[in-house]
Amino acid sequence: MSQFTQQVILGLLLGGVYVAVALGFSLVWGILNIVNLAHGALVIVGSYITWDLFTRWHIDPFLSLPIDALVLFVIGYALQRGVINRVIRAPLLFTFLLTFGINLIIVSLLLLIFTADFRSVTPSYSGNGLHLGSVTIPYIRFGGLVVAFLLAGALWAILNRTRIGAAILAVGADRDAAQLVGIDLRHMYALTFGIGAAFAGVAGGIISTFQSITPTAGDPYTLQAFAVVILGGLGRVSATVLGGLTFGLIEILGQSAPGLGSGYANAIAFVVLVIVLVVRPRGLLGRLA
Amino acid sequence: MIAREERVPRSLRRFAVPIGIALLAYVILVPLTSTDTAQQAGLPLLADKLWFRIATTVAMFVVMASAWNIIGGLTGYASFGNVAFFGLGAYTVGVLVSSRGWPFPLALILAPVTASLFALIVGIPLLRLRGHYFAVATLGIGVAVGELVNNLGPLGASTGLFLPIVRSDLLFFYLMLVAAAVAVLSTWLILRTRFGYGLLAIRENEEAAKIIGVNTNLYKVAAFCIAAALTGLAGGIFAQWNSFINQENVFAISDNVQMILMAVVGGAGTVLGPVAGAISLELIIQTLAGGGSKAVYSQIGLGVLLAVCVIFIPRGVIDFFGGQSRLSLQYLRQTLRETSA
Repeated sequence: MSQFTQQVILGLLLGGVYVAVALGFSLVWGILNIVNLAHGALVIVGSYITWDLFTRWHIDPFLSLPIDALVLFVIGYALQRGVINRVIRAPLLFTFLLTFGINLIIVSLLLLIFTADFRSVTPSYSGNGLHLGSVTIPYIRFGGLVVAFLLAGALWAILNRTRIGAAILAVGADRDAAQLVGIDLRHMYALTFGIGAAFAGVAGGIISTFQSITPTAGDPYTLQAFAVVILGGLGRVSATVLGGLTFGLIEILGQSAPGLGSGYANAIAFVVLVIVLVVRPRGLLGRLA
Repeated sequence: MIAREERVPRSLRRFAVPIGIALLAYVILVPLTSTDTAQQAGLPLLADKLWFRIATTVAMFVVMASAWNIIGGLTGYASFGNVAFFGLGAYTVGVLVSSRGWPFPLALILAPVTASLFALIVGIPLLRLRGHYFAVATLGIGVAVGELVNNLGPLGASTGLFLPIVRSDLLFFYLMLVAAAVAVLSTWLILRTRFGYGLLAIRENEEAAKIIGVNTNLYKVAAFCIAAALTGLAGGIFAQWNSFINQENVFAISDNVQMILMAVVGGAGTVLGPVAGAISLELIIQTLAGGGSKAVYSQIGLGVLLAVCVIFIPRGVIDFFGGQSRLSLQYLRQTLRETSA
């Protein structure tokens, strides 16, 4: 039984990571209607920044998260403003191909800069955890979950409590009407993508604390972010949170099923994805009918 | 879109036919002059090993781009998982030849069968989806099937499968060439049948197609299976040609993106577009790769190429996707409504 409790806790902790990864992805998809295939690569850029700061100046990984966010925001803003804006009204196949191209470029550049070696961030407390009876909660993973909830709260607050958020939602609802009331569309697109990238960067920082990173480590996260958004439903922060936690649980419990193992993470994600798409295409909490 | 070929000026067409025939003759005949027997007979050597490798790869991508064109270009369903069919074809041949000791030709016949059976199974649920949902769900297929193969012991797991080496560049070049011809011919034939018109109708407006009596589900699944069979055939040939297969070389998502890019750049929905796209892009990629030694740079090159093609020449290729280009919440709603149908 405690084995099961442990699995559930690990699942929720992993779910927190997926929430963090999927928030930015969901924002960009919902507002800009871009399925950003470079999202995983942006996540890993965040991981490398955290790793670099940690190995070079011994900055605690959790303290470097704001730096990840800032750097990734600038990268994301520039990418959208300079490149993706040019195809924003093109059919989806084009944004798809374009973001895949960006993904290839980022991954290759990371490969050139950091080589394909496994890199890990190991602060002094990385092995420690809270012991509750026979159940263990690793501090690092718990920290990740807390950060994920902070991110979700921040995104909710940005969208619902600020003028910029209102403008972003307006662009998502009807870009022509938004333009008519004086919103600078190009700037808003770039801002939205920048925020999405910043969130990806923070997620990457979290990931670097518990997983060895390589330039290609981000690719699975793109698919998983997609699965989370499909599972939860598009267009709500709460849906992404629910989708992420559920997905983490499914993955951990699925992997502990007899005959399966950690090598099947993507396959499990995919099966969940297809079942949800076919049975309940709007997701668990989707409000768009 | 089919009418585009007729828009080519007459004077150009008069040149195009002989040039095309000459090129084809060159491609088919030159390899013969480079074999050892030709060398012994004192014939001039017109091509080397590298030429074979590149030409065979080009032919392979002609098959894959043409096959993608049938589901993505004609039917309008942008599949990002066709590489799964390639991998399944390759593994069919790989397992039958290396573990069961089947002769290669017999195993090759089964490669397209496995691939299209798989397409039938996943196609029935997945072809109900559209747009982003179909694209990413199929992307998931490619990743998931590759992962599955990578974990299954009988399939060589992460070590991959080794096939007995067959030393004949000529054989594989001609096999790929025949596969490419079959792919192009299939597209040409499909476009001249009721089935082809049905697919085009689905691409333009699926609801309307259904109303005028097109059995849309059957047509879509059939197109998916044909694409899968052709891609699987290419995979089967590749397995024996390369004599080593693993997850990385037969389930590469970048191959999938390449075949789409080739079809789109050359002209999705046309018969010869994917051929032109495959030849030109593969040659560019091979040049960038510098003979395959600098994989990183070829990846960067492919990425830049993708960005440049998508940004700077979308007008040439965009019109086939037509009026779906307004990205708004309205569009999202519509997509969602369609997927729940």
